[in-house]
Amino acid sequence: MSQIKSNKKFKWALDFNQKNRTQATELPSPPGYSQSANASYTEASRDTDSNLLLIKKLWDVALGPLKQVPMNLFIMYMAGNSISIFPIMMVGMLIVRPVKALFATQSTFKMVEGTQATGQKFVYFIGNIVNILLALYKCQSMGLLPTHSSDWLAFEEPQTRVEHIGGGLSLI
Amino acid sequence: MGLLSIYFKPNFLGLLKCLNKLNWFIVFFSLINLSVCIYEDQIGKFDWRQTYVGRIKFSQFDTVSTAKKIIVATEENVLAALNLKTGQVVWRHVFESASTGNIQLLQITEKVVTVSGSNPYLVRGWNSATGVLQFEWSLTLQNDEQADFSEWWVQNDMLVHMLPVFGSHIEVTMYNLATGQNRGSTTKLPAVWANDGCIVTAPYYTCIHGPMGNQQLFSLDVTSNTMHLISQPLSEYVTLSSYDGNLRPLDGNGIIPAFTVDDRKIIVIKNSRFELLKTDVVDPSASVAIVDIANGPVVLQTWIDDTQGFSMRANSVSTGAEVAELRTSDRELRLPEPEVSSAVCTKSAREQLVCRILLTGGDDSVHLMQQGGRILWSREEALANVVAAEFVELPVSDLDAAIESEFDQKEAAKMYSSIWAAFSRRLQTQFQQLQTLVHSIQSGEVLEDDPPSALVRDYFGLHKIIVLVTEVGKIFGMDNLSGSILWQHYEAQLDTEHVLLYTRRAARHPPHDAYLTVVGKHQETGNGLIISLNPITGSLIGERVLQLDVQLLQVAILHRADNEKLHALILLDKDENVQILPQSAAPLVENMFMYVAERNTARVQGYALIYNGQTVEALRTWLVQLGGSADAGHRIVAVAGKAAGERVHSPGRVLADRSVLYKYVNPNLVLFLTEGPDPLHKDVVVATCVDAASGAIVAAQAHRRARALPYVLHTEHYLAYLYYNDKQRRNEIATLELYEGKQRWSGAGAAFTSLWAERAPGVERLAYILPAAPAAAATTATERSLTDKHVLLALTSGAIIEVPWAYLEGRRGGGEEGAMLPAPAPEIMLAPEARLNYNRTLARPRQLYTAPAGLESTSLVLATGLDLFYTRVAPSKTFDLLKDDFDYYLITIVLAALIVATYSTKYFASRKMLKLAWK
Repeated sequence: MSQIKSNKKFKWALDFNQKNRTQATELPSPPGYSQSANASYTEASRDTDSNLLLIKKLWDVALGPLKQVPMNLFIMYMAGNSISIFPIMMVGMLIVRPVKALFATQSTFKMVEGTQATGQKFVYFIGNIVNILLALYKCQSMGLLPTHSSDWLAFEEPQTRVEHIGGGLSLI
Repeated sequence: MGLLSIYFKPNFLGLLKCLNKLNWFIVFFSLINLSVCIYEDQIGKFDWRQTYVGRIKFSQFDTVSTAKKIIVATEENVLAALNLKTGQVVWRHVFESASTGNIQLLQITEKVVTVSGSNPYLVRGWNSATGVLQFEWSLTLQNDEQADFSEWWVQNDMLVHMLPVFGSHIEVTMYNLATGQNRGSTTKLPAVWANDGCIVTAPYYTCIHGPMGNQQLFSLDVTSNTMHLISQPLSEYVTLSSYDGNLRPLDGNGIIPAFTVDDRKIIVIKNSRFELLKTDVVDPSASVAIVDIANGPVVLQTWIDDTQGFSMRANSVSTGAEVAELRTSDRELRLPEPEVSSAVCTKSAREQLVCRILLTGGDDSVHLMQQGGRILWSREEALANVVAAEFVELPVSDLDAAIESEFDQKEAAKMYSSIWAAFSRRLQTQFQQLQTLVHSIQSGEVLEDDPPSALVRDYFGLHKIIVLVTEVGKIFGMDNLSGSILWQHYEAQLDTEHVLLYTRRAARHPPHDAYLTVVGKHQETGNGLIISLNPITGSLIGERVLQLDVQLLQVAILHRADNEKLHALILLDKDENVQILPQSAAPLVENMFMYVAERNTARVQGYALIYNGQTVEALRTWLVQLGGSADAGHRIVAVAGKAAGERVHSPGRVLADRSVLYKYVNPNLVLFLTEGPDPLHKDVVVATCVDAASGAIVAAQAHRRARALPYVLHTEHYLAYLYYNDKQRRNEIATLELYEGKQRWSGAGAAFTSLWAERAPGVERLAYILPAAPAAAATTATERSLTDKHVLLALTSGAIIEVPWAYLEGRRGGGEEGAMLPAPAPEIMLAPEARLNYNRTLARPRQLYTAPAGLESTSLVLATGLDLFYTRVAPSKTFDLLKDDFDYYLITIVLAALIVATYSTKYFASRKMLKLAWK
């Protein structure tokens, strides 16, 4: 709305009396002003402009996760490999955020339908995956991933026995 | 408090779940305390100690000092003072357990004087009130061979030492009691009649001598300056045809010289003459003593009458008239072979006879009896010699049992065919529960003080019964929380040399009682003697007392239970025949093996037990001669198999690089510790791990110039034993750990069989210096083996030290792999705060017994020896239990305050909103 207003102001600035603004609209167009041409122009420009902006904005959104990577790397570096409450919280954030974002992909890109939508989605997806991988790498370096056989030791069943014995020193 | 343990029980995931559920706050506070020792206010909270003195040898009433005491000297070489009113130990001195500590004489004048040792002798005087040593001098006899026949007594502040040389003479020496100064020289009195059947009735030395049928009774006052020999023909007193030469001094502290002949006649020496008393010995087994009462000396006799039970009678020495006050018979009093240890009688202000008689039983019990037969206190001195102990679970309460049976699948299917029956049953149980609740509310605390009702399993399984078998053949049931004796059973015929104890049925099978069997030997024949008891009540059940007609070689318990949930006993007798007890369980014998080790020859014989349709046969399968050939002279010092039913929670160990080193957990593995002579290295100690099913030797190691100590530990894949290093002159502990390697040999959950063993395990071994003298060793045991293993060492200094296994680890200091273990050190640090019994020193600890509690974190420990000590340990801290000093009030107040704050702020917030809306 404001855009249209400002457009009007810029295109035609002969409004001398603001009080009579409502009346002025009912007045016939001044000479040299073609309302239809203006309308068609604003219509077209608005359409393409907002589209471009939207696309630009969406690309921003899509590239957001990738832009976070350096920041995440820095956080990871700062957090260190010790297992204590703050590093764990950070790693948790690192994992949870991209996963949440992935689930919210549909809603994020809901309003877009266009040629670049799939590309954006793909980039967005890749960015989040990269973040998850980074977080997993962090978990790995912190030793939080159950990748060793020792991590599954507690679930291994104990052996059973076949033979039974008894005896000891002679009682005689 | 209970939450944690419930959630913890299922598995490790359970712990994680419960951590989630619980307040981080609580977890944080429970982890923050990492100290091992207890706080000052926890003294005696989880532990108790009972002090014993052993079977009484000499006793005397100390009526001189203000605090009335009985001074006792015992077979265990203990000198102690017992409180006359309570029977508690006032002070106690424990002498050396070897013959150097033998107490030869106890005499109470104004001091307590003892003669102890055997050439050299130590004469010591003690303050009777405090037990402080006041003087000491030693005495070495020239004639060492004869020294064992020495007799000692005190006369007129002189210590009299008499040494008879049989068939020749008597040497008498007198010393000043306090200083040891010899009055003159040794007097030699000719006495050709002296023989080894002679007795001393101070100051007389009395013998029977002469050809058969014409014996003479001789008596000589050895301390008098003039030698006056009293002699009389024996035929004056007893008929010689039935006489078997039994001359017996009287019990108690004789006030006039007297003795019994042939267990029938009592003879008193009076005015240098023998005088036959009018009173005869009532029963050949009777204990006879002469006690001074106000009217003159009386002969006091106690015996066990077949019909009347314990009986006591007193007759005047001079007239033979009976003293009515002292006549007693009590059928309730169980006092086998009573013996008057000492007695004292006085007249009270109202001319009444007041007597205190200290009685010792054949079961080592001590009773203080007053006139009229009332027992003032009793001490069970048999407990100073415990040979076997077992922790027994208590049964669940009736109500719990009903609920359990309701949800037991099989039982339920049998009983409730229809859904309606099940429903009505449910309602009934609910009603019962309600009733108990109401009842408990009504009676309040009274219910808990009632001991019979308290004998049910508690929530954490910490309450158990300890069954103790003592050397004398008395079996005790003891409450582990209080240490009070619940029941006792004396079996005079039981020889407890190699006694074995088996819990054949736990108390968790409600309709059936718990079942415990003691396998010992018959005192006389050496044949097997099997006693079956209900460990909760102490009553005989099942086979009761079963006397076998054959000697037993070994006994095993069958791993499978029969229909009545009873585990059968497998008895292997001397002729290698097998008996199954009960016989009906014979078909259950399957995959059963036995081994018998001979201590002195170090020969181990393996047997396979095979059921052939009717009987079970023992087939010799393997034979191992430990320590090389049979003439190598090795002997087995100790044997350790794994505890029956031991669980191994984790199949492997996690290394520093997060890989797994799998344990070699062979349930059939047995560790033999042998020692033998070596031409080069004096003595060698060999530890051999033998698979008892197949006879295969799994691992072995030897120590040169060392002597083995009989302390071995064997649990999971850990093995440890102690030995004395002769070269360095110190005690060492060697550990072995057996590992399969980084790969598991068989799949997870697969059955382990000894008969298909193709690979040998890797052995990690190390030895550490133990800077103390060990007296016993044990490992902690927990329900699911989830907690760490700690080694408990009882030291001769009277301490029980808890050493984490990590300090004994064979891989300690092994580079990368050992990085998680403590830094390598040659010596094991025995920290004072790791001492379980803090300042309660235990005299002569002999054995440690451990048992799991219901709580996974906790292990129950019993130390036996001269003292009994019970405590509980938590090797990984009490992770499933809130701290003892957990502040319930604080947390309740905080919680309540938070709730109040929440609701009040809510109210205020709504009021504020309302106000805002009106603006």
